[in-house]
Amino acid sequence: MRVGTVPSAAYDDLPYTRGGTVDRADVGALVQSAVDGDAAAWKALVEGLSPLVWSVVRAHRLGDADAHEVYQTVWFRFAQHLGRIREPEKAGSWLASTARHECLKVLKSLRRLTVTSDPQLLDRVSEDRTPEQSVLDSEEAAAESERIRWMWQEFEELGERCRQLLRVLMASPPPSYQEVSAALGIAVGSIGPLRQRCLRRLRARLDARGAL
Amino acid sequence: MHDDGFDGELLEEELRQAATILDPVPAQLRQLAVEAFALHDLDARIAELTFDSVVDAIPVRGATDVPRMLTFRAGEVTVDVEVSAQGLLGQVLPPQQARIEVLGGPQTATSVVADDMGRFTSDAPPTGPFALRLRTGGETVVTEWLRA
Repeated sequence: MRVGTVPSAAYDDLPYTRGGTVDRADVGALVQSAVDGDAAAWKALVEGLSPLVWSVVRAHRLGDADAHEVYQTVWFRFAQHLGRIREPEKAGSWLASTARHECLKVLKSLRRLTVTSDPQLLDRVSEDRTPEQSVLDSEEAAAESERIRWMWQEFEELGERCRQLLRVLMASPPPSYQEVSAALGIAVGSIGPLRQRCLRRLRARLDARGAL
Repeated sequence: MHDDGFDGELLEEELRQAATILDPVPAQLRQLAVEAFALHDLDARIAELTFDSVVDAIPVRGATDVPRMLTFRAGEVTVDVEVSAQGLLGQVLPPQQARIEVLGGPQTATSVVADDMGRFTSDAPPTGPFALRLRTGGETVVTEWLRA
């Protein structure tokens, strides 16, 4: 999965296949099983790669309605192209790249519509209560909840480039650099240094706030 | 460059936890993706999007609510579609009769028929992702999924 032969010293200490060796190893096999009709394999692909697709959509700051539609379009198209994807082991990159293109198309059509204001472009954290949030609402976890919200707030206020990169990097399981590259259209080799810089910036903001 | 002891790895992991709690994949979307397995159809030919007015056309100044023009192609078969608030208007080329399903997801489909000239209409404008499944002659052609 390594691209080119750049001296590793020039980059972050993480390998290009970050996450890939563990979580992504089976992607090619899962795609093949799904092609053969194995619904459980498909479900495993959805579980493993949904957060990546969602992170790409969120990184592009789509409003909820557009975000939902792009997410669906990407998965419907993936199901449709299943078995025709040339490099099944890179299904994550295929999904990330498809998501990116659909996001850019949405942004282009929004601009074209000359919308009076762009409320849709404002990122909103869903108001739906997840089970995790409910747990956090318990009194013992209130402090932890507060800390996480602070961190999220500082993350949201980072510059656009850093916000985009970190939003994709924080998908769970962690995406490979190939996938991040496909998601954001940035060179694999620049991800490591950029990541380090963005995390430092976030750290500095948190320190300034006295959090953590 | 870790001489100052900055642990980016740890901070990223904390962000990952925060994202899982504050901005998870909505459960209903994940479920739709699981159900999308039903859309997997190896027998159909995929008609790829070759023209989309959102991307390929020069915008008309001052014009609002312009229908979106789409062209899909699978080999010799071309499908032109106009999407507007009134619904779909389209034509299959070369002109031919066809049974067409307008798909709105894994479990949503409405049927329309293309006449001898290959023309078809649907009163229901797609509200989200959609695809057309055409049965014509002996083959099935499905347009690439697209967000309306």
